[in-house]
Amino acid sequence: MPSSTSNFDFRRVIPDLPWRRLALTAALLTAVAAVAWEVRARRLGYAPTHNDTSDFWAQERRKVQPDSIVVIGDSRAIFDVDLDALEQSLGKRPVQLALPGTCAYPILADLVADEKFHGTVIASLLPALWLAPEGSPIDESLAALKRFRTQTAAQRASHELALLLEQNLACLKQEDLTLKQLLKRIEIKNRPGALVAPKLPPYFQTTDRDRRMRMAEACAKPGPLQDRVKFGWLELFQPPPPPSWIPKEEFMKAVGLAVEQRFKDTAATVKKLQARGGKVIFVRFPHTGEVKKIEDQATPRAGPWDRIIRESGAPGIYYSDYPELSGFDCPEWSHLSAADSVEFTKRLAPHLQRAMAAGR
Amino acid sequence: MLFNSLTFVVFFVVVVGTYWLLRGWEARKNLLLVASYVFYGAWNPPFALLLFATTALDFYLGSRIAGASTPGTRKAWMWASVASNLSMLGFFKYGNFLLANTQWLLERAGVHYQPPHLDVFLPIGISFYTFHSLSYTLDVYRGVCAPTKSLRDFTLAVSFFPQLVAGPIVRAADFLPQLVSAPALRPGQFGWGLMLMTLGLFQKTVLADTLLSGSADTVFGHGGPLQWLDAWAGVLAFSGQIFFDFAGYSTCAIGAALCLGFHLKDNFRFPYAAVGFSDFWRRWHISLSTFLRDFLYIPLGGNRHGTARSAVNLMLVMFIGGLWHGAAWTFVVWGVIHGVFLVLERLLDWFINKAQINRTRAVQFLVGGGTFVVVCFAWVFFRAADFTTAARLIRAMVGAFPHGDALLGTRELWQVGLVTAGLLFAHSRLRNTSLEAMVATKPRWLVVGVWTVMLCAILLNQDSGNAFIYFQF
Repeated sequence: MPSSTSNFDFRRVIPDLPWRRLALTAALLTAVAAVAWEVRARRLGYAPTHNDTSDFWAQERRKVQPDSIVVIGDSRAIFDVDLDALEQSLGKRPVQLALPGTCAYPILADLVADEKFHGTVIASLLPALWLAPEGSPIDESLAALKRFRTQTAAQRASHELALLLEQNLACLKQEDLTLKQLLKRIEIKNRPGALVAPKLPPYFQTTDRDRRMRMAEACAKPGPLQDRVKFGWLELFQPPPPPSWIPKEEFMKAVGLAVEQRFKDTAATVKKLQARGGKVIFVRFPHTGEVKKIEDQATPRAGPWDRIIRESGAPGIYYSDYPELSGFDCPEWSHLSAADSVEFTKRLAPHLQRAMAAGR
Repeated sequence: MLFNSLTFVVFFVVVVGTYWLLRGWEARKNLLLVASYVFYGAWNPPFALLLFATTALDFYLGSRIAGASTPGTRKAWMWASVASNLSMLGFFKYGNFLLANTQWLLERAGVHYQPPHLDVFLPIGISFYTFHSLSYTLDVYRGVCAPTKSLRDFTLAVSFFPQLVAGPIVRAADFLPQLVSAPALRPGQFGWGLMLMTLGLFQKTVLADTLLSGSADTVFGHGGPLQWLDAWAGVLAFSGQIFFDFAGYSTCAIGAALCLGFHLKDNFRFPYAAVGFSDFWRRWHISLSTFLRDFLYIPLGGNRHGTARSAVNLMLVMFIGGLWHGAAWTFVVWGVIHGVFLVLERLLDWFINKAQINRTRAVQFLVGGGTFVVVCFAWVFFRAADFTTAARLIRAMVGAFPHGDALLGTRELWQVGLVTAGLLFAHSRLRNTSLEAMVATKPRWLVVGVWTVMLCAILLNQDSGNAFIYFQF
């Protein structure tokens, strides 16, 4: 009988090759290729920066204290808000929890669900995203929250290691330089009618340890990159086609009900936080050019913005209401340049201070 | 801790480095035990206690089985082990499923019953380590393995980190003997282990996650009718994804174990080149199929009591095999489809001499192709979230929606097509040999070249920290 005290007779076959030499050669060649790729990335204009992953978001979410100032919303809240400038004015460093391309309502609901939280939430209100009934804007927010709730010690450790590597290597830019992203650059014509999602424009931004994003200089000045980003938005800012298997009227009715519910939920959530001394301040960030035309047409200010402010009772800062906030140009129609974002935040801060002081 | 994570890279380097620096065999085993619990506890520390409790109980029950004076007592202790392991698995994995089905049955009988929802967090890898541990008491009972006197050794056998959370299901009888004396590294063993780890990670991060998972997710996540091309592309993508994901994990586990001087058996042997379903199950998740064969099919009577009884036994085994993968009827249907084809194959064998038929390459090719197609159809139930989605996809695959949605871009179709073609080609070329035999015949420059390409591709996929599909089972 084979026993635990006998010798095990199964041995894996080892191919008869000089494995040590082969391993060292492969490692050396890989190292050479990695260095070459890093040099190439830097020549393309990339610099070391952090990747905005769900682990990064979860790390920042853990920083929220009961009286924190928290920034939530879409990419405008993350590009256009300078945390240093805000800290200087508000006396407290805000926690950056905005997520590009997402609906921030689930994030707000999660913050408010914490009965201890009575801080201030600065929320970018881009109506098309805030009211998104389903799909990627909601899924991404929920995924970030799930990571926050379930993040393991191993995932935290991996994130810390990634931060160390990312601050030294430019080629680790996940949005542009992974195999998946490189494959997406291959231009092959799709079948007529194929429901392929539009490509995200390259952000070409840097991200620091506080998840503060800054637009890269190459994007801030006129040129091919700026054009790629600009015109990339146009397709993305169009609503997706309704599903083919549900009658259009039925679908639009369901969307209408979901949007209606979001209005109600937003108002209820804001009031719940207000009731325990917290505050939500909605901000409409600058946007220009064709993006502004599309947004003004689809979600005019008199529509969702006014209604959310009215029903929630929350203070709202609409950039175009104030001359000092409205003169900024968005190089790619949707976000401010890094330099302008600092100036914009400095000018926004007094409005935020007034909104925070109101009602106290 | 995931193999495809930076934490694991550091963990593995530290553990392997320290392991080979230590002189004493007992100290090395202690190190591996601590490392294995750190590996598991890094996911959720309290569940490491559950892992230890299962292990300690089976250690105790193994000694009681061996020490029992009468066959009845032996059997009673064996059943105690089966009951404790399956109860724990049942509570964590099947609790809500059982309650929901009880509710459904009672409602059919006119009884209103609102079951509580058990807010239970599924311990990662519970299906695997339960079977690791259970194999010990069952093998002691069968007389295949003598009980170990060392709780430390048995705890290490169950928790050995390379195979802990997603297999292969390494039986204690295969692992405990390797703990008796310090293994000596044979020439090339460490390097070949690293090569296997690279191959496993390449399969997981590049082939499964980067090239296939997107198409599979898009197609299986679609809520409406779709064209046959997209349906097939999505199903082929998942067929490839699940193979590369799971075989990738097993390959990593085998490689990591080799680097530490341990030998784990193959878990996959080029399954998509299988000719028939019994051949498929000799090649797919071998450690599970042999577990079910030895501890369920044979004790039920196997094929010793006639064709009808053998068919019932097979169906029962595949039913349970399906359920093992997840608490949903879709998994059961997947298992039952395989069961039905295994039975049909047996019946066909009964009427026709398969050996004669299988002699020609053309027939082998046709039967192999047919097997792959049916396996793909069965994967639809495995992957689909519900029967509605599965039915819609099956209908789409047979062309029921000529005006359905076209979901995938040309690039994605090419990706799926090329990877599937490469996968089938590789499996058909290697079906009668082994990876080791094939690699041994290749020139060194080619081995280095392929190894380098795999390493570079893994580095280019530094965002692919996705969990392995089989972690959820």
